[in-house]
Amino acid sequence: MARDVLIDLRHITKVFPPDTIALSDVSVSFESGEIHALVGENGAGKSTLMKVLYGLERRDAGDIFFRGAKVEFRTPREAISAGIGMVHQEMLLIPEYTVWQNIVLGAEPVRAFGAIDVHRAREAVRQKIEEFQFNLEPDTLVGDISVAARQKVEILKLLYRNVSVLVLDEPTAVLTPQEIPQLFSELERLRDKGHTIIFISHRLDEVLTLSDRVTVMRRGKVVGTSAASELTKEDLARQMVGREVLFTSQRQPQEPGAMVFRAQGLNCSDAEHRARLHDVTVEVRAGEIIGVAGVEGNGQFELVNAIMGLAPMTSGTLEVNGKDIMRADILARRALISFVSQDRGKMGASINASILEDAIMTHHILDPGFSTWRGLGLNYRRAVAFTEQIRTQFNVSMSGVRDPFRSLSGGNQQKVILGRELLLETPFVLMDQPTRGLDVGSIEYVHQLLLDLRSKNRAVLLISADLDELFMVADRIVVMCQGDIVADLATNATSREEIGYYMLGGKETEHAETGS
Amino acid sequence: MRKQVLSGLLGVLAAFVIGALVLLFQGFNPVTTYGALLQYSLLSASGFAATVTRAVPLILTGLSASIAFASGPVNLGQPGQLIMGALGVTLVGLFVRLPPVFLIPLCILASLLGGALWSGLAALLKRAFAMDEFIVTLMLNFIADYFALWVITYPLFDPSALSPMTRPISTAAWLPDLGGVNTSVLFMVFAAVVCWLIMSRGRSGYEWRMTGQNSLFARIGGCKVDANYVRVMLVTGALAGLAGGLMVMGGPHRFVKGLGANYAWDGIMIAVVAGSGVSGTFLYGLLFSALQQGAIGMELVTAVPSEFIDVLQAVIVLVVVAGRVSLNMVFDWLATRRKLKESAE
Repeated sequence: MARDVLIDLRHITKVFPPDTIALSDVSVSFESGEIHALVGENGAGKSTLMKVLYGLERRDAGDIFFRGAKVEFRTPREAISAGIGMVHQEMLLIPEYTVWQNIVLGAEPVRAFGAIDVHRAREAVRQKIEEFQFNLEPDTLVGDISVAARQKVEILKLLYRNVSVLVLDEPTAVLTPQEIPQLFSELERLRDKGHTIIFISHRLDEVLTLSDRVTVMRRGKVVGTSAASELTKEDLARQMVGREVLFTSQRQPQEPGAMVFRAQGLNCSDAEHRARLHDVTVEVRAGEIIGVAGVEGNGQFELVNAIMGLAPMTSGTLEVNGKDIMRADILARRALISFVSQDRGKMGASINASILEDAIMTHHILDPGFSTWRGLGLNYRRAVAFTEQIRTQFNVSMSGVRDPFRSLSGGNQQKVILGRELLLETPFVLMDQPTRGLDVGSIEYVHQLLLDLRSKNRAVLLISADLDELFMVADRIVVMCQGDIVADLATNATSREEIGYYMLGGKETEHAETGS
Repeated sequence: MRKQVLSGLLGVLAAFVIGALVLLFQGFNPVTTYGALLQYSLLSASGFAATVTRAVPLILTGLSASIAFASGPVNLGQPGQLIMGALGVTLVGLFVRLPPVFLIPLCILASLLGGALWSGLAALLKRAFAMDEFIVTLMLNFIADYFALWVITYPLFDPSALSPMTRPISTAAWLPDLGGVNTSVLFMVFAAVVCWLIMSRGRSGYEWRMTGQNSLFARIGGCKVDANYVRVMLVTGALAGLAGGLMVMGGPHRFVKGLGANYAWDGIMIAVVAGSGVSGTFLYGLLFSALQQGAIGMELVTAVPSEFIDVLQAVIVLVVVAGRVSLNMVFDWLATRRKLKESAE
């Protein structure tokens, strides 16, 4: 059916100085009443394009037309009052406020003398909830509701302001597999009521299920816009990456070797004496990848802290190659453990340092070749050579080893970190969401690297929020829920649904009953 | 690096232009004023010697602040550490009788230890009770100030003096002048070279800088961040202490009331202008010293009050620091234009 063009972006160009062209002559039009997916690798420019539309980024060239008229939103507030609302990945709600308070915040109905009309506000929110059939209770505290429900509050917040266009930036990234269909049916209902939805994603299955039309972006340019019904997953991936992408696991059967890593009966509590880890036992053998699945915040963070020695444990043992490291300091552990953290800017690197400075961390102590003057000096010539080695061996694209780390793209930053850690040549590798925030091409690269490690008989513990990733590379998957390991399953003998069931707190016995 | 030099030069130039406008507005002739400033700070032999000697405490306290800020600890205790270093030298110089070859190194050691003791106290309080060094070092400045005043007013008071001061230290600990330049300059230059080597070529400097930028990253990388914290505090305290010690050994040869003056605070300001870099601190230290020294001559030959130099220094700080950011914005804007033109072709 023919729809009217609602938003028309014409020849948008955006440069991030000094020389990154984030958007190059991008033209896309969004039609009224459609679900339009914007897909592309990280750094393809999809979020930037939406930020330009929303008044969060200035554009350097191009025009924006909304309902046929040329518009210029300088702030999100102007965009919202014109009828365009955006839900960001990180939610900005006040946990101490109730659902309705969060929704009306900033646009409260007032009585005389500026007093908030509590009754009218609550009633208006209740009406909106009913109108859109969102399963929400206006009087619960936002701090007490799930991430999925908070997302609904964010959406309602915009609907309350009567927006007709909703932009959602990777809305499913924070949801469990079970929560996604509900969001989708709500979005479809919104579309049927005449709203236009722009949906940023890089999960191809979702894009194809949900959207009417799909625009693919690559490297700041539009590759094309097509109807979702005419596309396959493989088409989309090819358009996004510019070449064929493998979706099937390349994992070859392999007998695991000797026991390398063993954590036994780990326990720890937080400041309020709540147990954060409860008798956690994990074992990894040489040439084996063990995946840790779980909704974020169920003990993965504490497990990483325990293994790396960042926080004290109340009890338990930790061994690598038969050596007890429970009381070892961080440096002693680093001689045995390579570690890739989930947050590049927090634990993985110093963003403001040079690439070289970030690349030689830990090596500068463990490798005697890096010291001069009897350990007082740092051998910068060796450091340059080492960084160049990472550059060639891990295909990092950079202009110079002394450039700021910040100037690299996310994928290249991660490659530098992976190179640094894997060249430590340790028997055990701990990876905490190593593909988080990376594009499809880089993710594929990391997966290949993981499988290479496995064939080189290293032991890998992979913590991941992405089930596809775990199914692609892990030999076994353990599931964490509320600080417990609730399941330990061979990847070949389980399914995403089963893992998802345990992630949400299902117990093995209950599952057996419901399964029969 | 090249950008930093450019923004520094432009900033200083702009500050001088602003200063000239201020002078014009007040009815003074900027050319003769700046001429006198230059004449009495750099162009005459005596002026140059005084400028370089004055730079000793400015650069040493500046290096202290620069290394601390670049490595994480907010050590603002240079004034107190300077006084404790000077006190250390005074004690050794008053009571130890040795030939210069032994006494001078011993005095230098005493000044380093005096400063390190004072910053070490702050480090200890941080490690033991998690007290923030930011506030502790500031407060210790007052204690050092009044402690020194008590020492020179009562136990070590020189009965022949009219105001609080000690007797002169042993002449064996006096640092001589060489062609008008005090030899304390040699110690300062040596210390600056060591600082540069530590920060730019040393393993510790690398670890300190990484810790200053992201301490969690350094810690997970295997750096001993807690031990490094203490080391940085001790080293930066020792540098400020050395400043005080050299002032006593090269200058009045005794601890007089008001010895530290504003040198350490100026040093902190220099570290901020230099963006916590070692070579930048050295150069800005010389510049500020030249301004302060030239101010004295300027007041002699023109009617401009020496307070004008305070204004000029403040303008330099503001323009250079603000200029660093805005110059980057200009660079960004130029790069954007260029890129747009390229992609249009």
